[in-house]
Amino acid sequence: MTQTTQANGHLGPDQLSAFIDGELSSNETYEVQQHLTDCHECALRVLSATQLKAATARAAQQFAVPPEALARLTAQLRPQEPKKTGRIYSFRSVTWAAVAAGLLLAVSLLGWRQNRQATALSAELLDQHLAVLSGGASPEVISTDRHTVKPWFQGKLPFSFNLPDVLPADTTLKGGDLAYLNGQPAALLLFTIHKHEVSVFLTQRSGSPIVAVLPGTQSGFTIHHAMTNDLRIFAVSDVNPADLDLLVSALVEAQTSR
Amino acid sequence: MSSPFHSASFEDLTLPLLPSLYNHAFWLCRNHADAEDLVQEAISKALRAFDSFQAGTNFKAWIFRILRNTFLTSRTGIAASRTVFLEDHPDLPGATDESPNPEDHLIRLDNQAALNRALDDLQPQLREVLLLCDVEELKYKDIALVLDVPIGTVMSRISRARRTLHQQLKVQLGESL
Repeated sequence: MTQTTQANGHLGPDQLSAFIDGELSSNETYEVQQHLTDCHECALRVLSATQLKAATARAAQQFAVPPEALARLTAQLRPQEPKKTGRIYSFRSVTWAAVAAGLLLAVSLLGWRQNRQATALSAELLDQHLAVLSGGASPEVISTDRHTVKPWFQGKLPFSFNLPDVLPADTTLKGGDLAYLNGQPAALLLFTIHKHEVSVFLTQRSGSPIVAVLPGTQSGFTIHHAMTNDLRIFAVSDVNPADLDLLVSALVEAQTSR
Repeated sequence: MSSPFHSASFEDLTLPLLPSLYNHAFWLCRNHADAEDLVQEAISKALRAFDSFQAGTNFKAWIFRILRNTFLTSRTGIAASRTVFLEDHPDLPGATDESPNPEDHLIRLDNQAALNRALDDLQPQLREVLLLCDVEELKYKDIALVLDVPIGTVMSRISRARRTLHQQLKVQLGESL
């Protein structure tokens, strides 16, 4: 399994490591033990390596889980009520689950009073945003470079769009993916603003003429909607609405300045 | 997707590993928020994939592999992977131990701060393999599974990690043997 000894007759470094890790075969172990009875230098090296191994184990176990994080992680492991989606939400799932539950309740209550289609669209937007947050679907293209993200969509969508040359402060493009929104193909762009995740959906304006009113802010999530000559832009996030507006405005601006 | 029996088993298997997963995640991410997110995401993925876990194989190695792969596809992980790693050249200078004096092999290990610094300075790929071996006490074959590399590579990386650590400690401690 390993080189037996070096040219100078001593244990090779790989062999020595494998010996203290208990990874040698019984024959190899026996050979090393025989050698150690005769070789003071190798015996010292084995002693030193064993001590270093033990010290490494002690030193490297220094990052204890904070109690509240342990509680969240433990809660995640507990058997949960069956979910319709079968999806397990990550990103501090307890918090998100609570937010999502409140959100869905709010959205469903809104349905009594508001345009049914608009509400369905809000729910769809939120659902897709939560799916992104869950990490269950990594974006197909992961890049902070608009010159990588934009071309990726070419040929995959029946429309094109521009990305802003300069994004608002502390706003970062993370990647993109294809999505379906309201039965239409959509470009899903993922951003972060101050570490808050933002999902932006771009669809063709010439699709179905829906969306009269969308709920502005629900349970901490904001949905912003804007239109250009060709596109509808929806942005969903828990970042503060003013910052989300800046991003949406930058996207609108990018479409009109082509 | 998962039977109740399966879910209970997953919980039983994973719960005792949370401190280890978190510690390892912290070494990968280097901050608490990202470490927690990483563990959460890895657990979600592991639960979804639990049906593919083969009973009788090493669960710890299996879930550490998921943790690592989750990290590698994260933003931090992608940034980290841009660091080029000089892969396992046994003939690199320093690969052979040429200390003239046998006592040179002994260094003082009671200096915890020095060891922490040396671990910090270690190349991530070398630190990772050492953590899996010395802290998590995984066998080489299981580490090979976690890292998706041949077992010979595991062996040479561990050996190289220890030599590097040893050298750094000697430098830091000013040869105070």
